[in-house]
Amino acid sequence: MTRLVPAAVLLLGLPFALSDFWLFIAIEVLAFALYAVSFNVLLGYGGMLSFGHAAFFGVGGYAAAILLKRAGLPPMLAFALVPVVALVVSALVALLIGFFSVQRSGIYFAMLTFAFQMLLYTIALKATGITGGDDGMTGLKPPGVLGRPFYYYYYALAIVVPALYVLYRLVSSPFGFTLRALRANPRRVQYIGVNVRAHQLAAFVVSGAFAGLAGGLFALSTGNVFPGWLNWTASATPIVMAVLGGVHTFLGPAVGAAVYVVLEVLISGKTEYWPLAMGVIIVVLVLLMPEGLSGFRRKPA
Amino acid sequence: MIDLVVQQFAWVQSPVVVARQLLAGVSNGMLLFLISAGLSLIFGVLRIINFAHGALFMFGAFVAVSLTALAPETTGAFAAALIGAAAGLAVLGALLESGLLRRIYHAQHEYQLLLTFALVFILGDVAKLIWGREDHSVSVPSLLTGSARALGLTFPTYRLFLIGVGIVVAIALWWVLHRTRWGVFVCAATMDRGMLSALGVNTRWLFTAVFALGAALAGLGGALAAPIVAVGPGLHVQVIIDAFVVVVIGGMGSVLGALVASLLVGIVNAFGILAIPGAAVVLTFALMAVILIVRPHGLFGTPE
Repeated sequence: MTRLVPAAVLLLGLPFALSDFWLFIAIEVLAFALYAVSFNVLLGYGGMLSFGHAAFFGVGGYAAAILLKRAGLPPMLAFALVPVVALVVSALVALLIGFFSVQRSGIYFAMLTFAFQMLLYTIALKATGITGGDDGMTGLKPPGVLGRPFYYYYYALAIVVPALYVLYRLVSSPFGFTLRALRANPRRVQYIGVNVRAHQLAAFVVSGAFAGLAGGLFALSTGNVFPGWLNWTASATPIVMAVLGGVHTFLGPAVGAAVYVVLEVLISGKTEYWPLAMGVIIVVLVLLMPEGLSGFRRKPA
Repeated sequence: MIDLVVQQFAWVQSPVVVARQLLAGVSNGMLLFLISAGLSLIFGVLRIINFAHGALFMFGAFVAVSLTALAPETTGAFAAALIGAAAGLAVLGALLESGLLRRIYHAQHEYQLLLTFALVFILGDVAKLIWGREDHSVSVPSLLTGSARALGLTFPTYRLFLIGVGIVVAIALWWVLHRTRWGVFVCAATMDRGMLSALGVNTRWLFTAVFALGAALAGLGGALAAPIVAVGPGLHVQVIIDAFVVVVIGGMGSVLGALVASLLVGIVNAFGILAIPGAAVVLTFALMAVILIVRPHGLFGTPE
């Protein structure tokens, strides 16, 4: 508890200390922290490597954009509905994709999620009338003062912190412990009478839903959403963040997200070769730091 | 509604269009085969999904850009480009395997995936540093320009050449894998690496050689594709996806599967463009998902 107070002071005080530019980056960190932690519910706890998780982040972003631009609702109402719609729509998509994907495990699971993501990417690219096709959707703005980073930051905080708390309670619950057991030895868990696929599917849906929420949040912060969010190269992002922060701690991926986002801002401000720098960072990470930054060889209890 | 559908398929009546699309589909399929055969072999032996394989293909195309620029449109320069791309990529492949990939064979899937992903980003940017951001074009060598006439139809010579090369490579690969001692080791490695190693085969060297062979095939494919695509830094992003779809459909680890699935995907794409413009890609991903669900080891792969 004593560690919560300084953390709360830091998070609540940030808007007074940061410029609008860095506040914008802080909002991005919040969204990606939620994205990476939700992804890690699958990887770190369930031992399921989703290689199509950008699908849900993207679906959440598109759900928010379509709600704001095409639903014809009053801006205030549409905006208020964004978190709910982003959650529900990505949960439904995750239910559909997950239903097929959890039939397989290991690398085949990864490839199924990958195939479905590419399917959605193609749809985002080709359904020009709804998604704007190649140009994506731009000009999304939260109404009123929320359009300013100072206020939007608090809005994002008010969504991300409770969402992380829900996820934390989930992984600390009996359900969460069953997931960890599944990572360690799925066959044995099955033998004691646990429905393995149902647990995996439930984790997949929760993970996808919160990734979608993060996507919706991020779309409104940047004001746009592009099909590239759903392309295969985007699915490396949550994996890098989780592995960078350490997959064996709950908040490790959030730390990884913060480091990743800040590094991207700093490096891409200096050179256009950010992918090259990121590639080198990943190589170093994979070869030298297999437990991530916050890992220190700690395993979940 | 029916009229509209019928209209979409009006080209069926035109043998010229059907023959043209078939040729385009088969020749594109042969290019796909060159890249996916290597991807499949590497997965079969090394158990690694090499996402950087598209980047190796792109490097092959860029090498062809540089080498053909020495003497544009001459057959000699083009031949040099093909050999240079294959040899150069074999060396690069051997370096990548022995320097990086070798260290993560026993790591978890996410680390393997991340490492080949890192290579995608690194190689993509290195290509930009060397060859710039703009698209390059390579002209068809003088010997292969023009077209051949048969059955009252005309076929571009270069497309026929691509099909010929594909057939030669397929036969050569079959011979190497099934008629040489080295090929027996490779096939054994796809089944049980530990046993092969215990029997005294130097699997370290075998893995390097397989990766180098896969890279050489990708490089050759890239050089062959150079005259019919825009050679730019984004080339690899789409190519790897097509190859990946092929490998999943054909069965990971199976070269025969890669051949059949390459031709299948090439032809489906060529006719899909006519039947449902823009949506042909959806078709191939849907096919890939169905295969993964009902037959995850693919058409010709062996179940785990």
